[in-house]
Amino acid sequence: MSVAAVAAAAVAKETGARLAKAERDGLNATLHWSQAALDAEAARVDALPPGGKLRGLAIAVKDNIVTTDAPTTCASRILEGYVSPYTATAVERLRAAGAMIACKANLDEFAMGSSTEHSAFGRVKHPLDPTRVPGGSSGGSAALVAAGVVPAALGSETGGSVRQPASFCGVVGVKPSYGRVSRFGLVAFGSSLDCISAFGTTVEDASRVLEVMSGPDPLDATTKADRPAFQAPASRTDLKGLKVGLPKEYFPADLDPGVRAGLDRAIKALRQLGAETKEVSLPYSKFAVPTYYIIAPAEAAANLARYDGVRYGLRKVGPEGDIRALYRATRGEGFGAEVRRRILIGTYVLSAGYYDAYYRKAQTVRALIAQDFKRAFASGVDLLLTPTTPTPPFKAGEKTDDPVQMYLADIFVCPVNLAGLPALSLPVGRDGGLPIGAQLIAPDFEEARMLGVAGALERVLRPAEEVR
Amino acid sequence: MTWETVIGLEVHVQLLTKSKMFCGCSAAFGDPPNTNVCPVCLGLPGALPVPNAQAIRLATRAALALGCTVQTRSVFARKNYFYPDLPKGYQISQFDEPLAVHGAVEFDSPERGRIRCGVTRLHVEEDAGKLIHDRFPGKTAVDLNRAGTPLAEIVSEPDIRSPAEARAYLTTLKQILVYAEVSDCSMEQGSLRVDANLSVRRAGDPNLGTKCEVKNVNSFANVERALEAERERQIALLESGGRIVQSTLLFNAGTGQVKLLRSKEESHDYRYFPDPDLPPLVLNAALVEEQRRALPELPEAKRERLVATYGLPAYDARVLASDRVIADYFEAVATGGADPKAAAHWVMGDAMTGYNETGRFPVPPARLVELIGLVARNVVSLQAAKKVFASPKMADPSAGSTAAIAESLGLTQVSDTGALGGWVDEVLTANPKEVERYRAGEAKLIAFFVGQVMKRSQGKADPKAVQPVLVARLNGG
Amino acid sequence: MNIGADGVLHVAKLAEIGLAEHELPKLVEQFNRIVDYVAQLDDVPFSAKPEPFLAGPAATPLREDVVRPIPLARPPAAFAPEFADGFFLVPRHGAMEDL
Ligand SMILES: [Mg+2]
Ligand SMILES: [Zn+2]
Repeated sequence: MSVAAVAAAAVAKETGARLAKAERDGLNATLHWSQAALDAEAARVDALPPGGKLRGLAIAVKDNIVTTDAPTTCASRILEGYVSPYTATAVERLRAAGAMIACKANLDEFAMGSSTEHSAFGRVKHPLDPTRVPGGSSGGSAALVAAGVVPAALGSETGGSVRQPASFCGVVGVKPSYGRVSRFGLVAFGSSLDCISAFGTTVEDASRVLEVMSGPDPLDATTKADRPAFQAPASRTDLKGLKVGLPKEYFPADLDPGVRAGLDRAIKALRQLGAETKEVSLPYSKFAVPTYYIIAPAEAAANLARYDGVRYGLRKVGPEGDIRALYRATRGEGFGAEVRRRILIGTYVLSAGYYDAYYRKAQTVRALIAQDFKRAFASGVDLLLTPTTPTPPFKAGEKTDDPVQMYLADIFVCPVNLAGLPALSLPVGRDGGLPIGAQLIAPDFEEARMLGVAGALERVLRPAEEVR
Repeated sequence: MTWETVIGLEVHVQLLTKSKMFCGCSAAFGDPPNTNVCPVCLGLPGALPVPNAQAIRLATRAALALGCTVQTRSVFARKNYFYPDLPKGYQISQFDEPLAVHGAVEFDSPERGRIRCGVTRLHVEEDAGKLIHDRFPGKTAVDLNRAGTPLAEIVSEPDIRSPAEARAYLTTLKQILVYAEVSDCSMEQGSLRVDANLSVRRAGDPNLGTKCEVKNVNSFANVERALEAERERQIALLESGGRIVQSTLLFNAGTGQVKLLRSKEESHDYRYFPDPDLPPLVLNAALVEEQRRALPELPEAKRERLVATYGLPAYDARVLASDRVIADYFEAVATGGADPKAAAHWVMGDAMTGYNETGRFPVPPARLVELIGLVARNVVSLQAAKKVFASPKMADPSAGSTAAIAESLGLTQVSDTGALGGWVDEVLTANPKEVERYRAGEAKLIAFFVGQVMKRSQGKADPKAVQPVLVARLNGG
Repeated sequence: MNIGADGVLHVAKLAEIGLAEHELPKLVEQFNRIVDYVAQLDDVPFSAKPEPFLAGPAATPLREDVVRPIPLARPPAAFAPEFADGFFLVPRHGAMEDL
């Protein structure tokens, strides 16, 4: 589905009909939407002067990105019914370019999860198999694009939360370089990792959304003003002269055979298009998940301290009736199990006597992981190709009682967040009817190179086909 | 065996900026509650901080004024704790990489003469909001107008040895910061706050005793009182064989006592870590140089120069240099041609009274220069000059020369023999007995006659001119 | 590494998170499993300490000192759980009287 310059009002009607059907089908991918809001968006867009790079494009927005005209709950009881009094920079830019916000999409509570089962408002179902998960934490956004409800959607990444569900759902998911897109209005989880990211039915849809959102923001001190602006590239017709690195640590012997077959397909396609492939090594990537599960919770423990029942959101007061009783009841009842686990872990690794052993150590390992990528790219490879996930979509409930197993679903995606690099997941085919994704990783701020190559692959790969 | 007191002070001053530390809200004091707030200082989901350049400039200037080494690279850190006046559940501060380190404050100790107290560090941070406990029964009210206003925290070395020294340190520190126009340092408005750490040890003991912190004292005088109370408490405890438990105490100005807030066991674990929303604060040399240039002459240097240039006594120089406005006024008068000692006398006397009342000097320096000249030339007596000085006309540029003002007020002295003769004759006829006694040899009565003449002339007569006329008449018969 | 219920409760107190008795055993078990898992960083080998990693720019940008607040589409009263006469309200807390 591409972005035709069709009247927004018509798009709003069709989109509303598809949202209603998705709801009837029990996808549970949306948290807030209404035909009235869609029509208002359409009226706004049709009133804009001609032009606008995304004119008439209906976009689903993950419900951890703030907007003033619908609640922003982060799929948490603690923010149930909270409506932000300001709008995220990314959303303002999309709207200014003529896009319409179609709905707020379901997610793992505060974006903490890899299956969208940790939503306080119910799990999101996989569009192709309701017994399976769509991945997460941006599972609602991914499912809506996969189900054809919207051509594009915003998600957010802290540790692979867009690429992993993109892979599970068989859509394109693009994570920009850290500092490429403003975080102002993205509800913070792990501030040094968080990136607003884009889903698209096609590479082109995702690229255009990213292009519009990109660029420094005076309201976010971590955006990078000194880098060239990103422009959605034309997809290349051949890849002659391109060197693609295959990190051996990302192709373990016990890799799921379906995933392996999918990657072989992608590698074959690269070679057919004239690219060379070369084995490289990223030895420290195997420590990415434990590193991530120190840094992200530590930052989250501080970022989620503001949900204290004083100024906004849920308030509960325990029997003692004092301020501490207010804090403990509000936060104890307002946060779900996974969020509480991570806040506790994050508090623990920062607490007196443990800082050096955990947080400081994790910072060192993070630097080693980033250094690996730098060296790999310096060794003459233009991009890296890896599986996005170690397995196809898993069954709902399979990992919910074992947090560590759940964390390992992000083993191939979260090293990239630690290194702050751009990466994407591209559907390469299916195994037993379930989508398989391949991940392309680029050097810092080389999104255009990565998307140009993805466009070329997209032309030759047949993602609806079985990979073996 | 005597006890030695060891004191270190943590001072928070609000930096004089228009907007807050990390957002564009007004930093004004006294607006209606929760009107100067935005997503950033309310700690709303998704909001992010961006540092205020002017706050960094002022903190840098303060650091230079205190002789600190300014770090070209410093780091913002999150200080984590829960309190209703702290919107994000953490304060953005600086921890192991502060803006500046290793400064000092030189001041006069009441006990030890001129001493030097080291400044361990100066860092920037954001203020918390305001809590009001007495307005809603059973509730605490939260006003976040102050939340996020920029502060500099100045931490001293434990170089202070008495409560009185602590007060002297604070007085000097405030003078320096006000001179540098970094902060107005008003304890009433909360733009200067003091936390004091005190411990005691046997005189000569090289090791420090266990310290206790006294928090939120509302005046320099009360800092001294609070520390005296805490010193007494600790000494009494130790002498009765007890041991000091590290704790935080609060001073009650009413009772003059300190009371325990929390002991170390229950003290906070702040879990500091670098704020991932804020890249390192890198100061370029230009910014530091610009602030070095912006530094005015500081009180200490000014005091020395006033002594050297105008030959003033040390005491006068100290009084005049205590306030930049007073010192500038004095220098305008002194360099305007008035005798420096007379100028100092006037500025510290009648002029200062007006300044303390109104916060400004009503009489322009040029007029005071003229007035001092008139006194020197006996055109106006000193007591008449005080009346002239007090006249509103002195503030009015269109009121003509100061001599003319004195004239129009009838306060110029009469030294013309003819005019004096009239008053002298009246006095002599009015006091025949005294004339008798004088002529009988009671010479000291001359003073009485002079006084009488001054009275009749309503202070207009020039006493020096009166005497010869009197003597002539009395002896002449 | 073994953190008992008391250890987890201490952390929960720091984080101001109320925990119900019945959920504690499972939470303690999972907490330990996660801590043991991340503890594998203890034996990460490295020869030279790497260049410290910075996700964002090398230096923070600064904003000029201008009063220009980000506008609120709704006033605090519209989202506060308890608000009166312009103030957010919370229950009175003993120690707070003094601070
Ligand atoms: Mg402080
Ligand atoms: Zn603000």
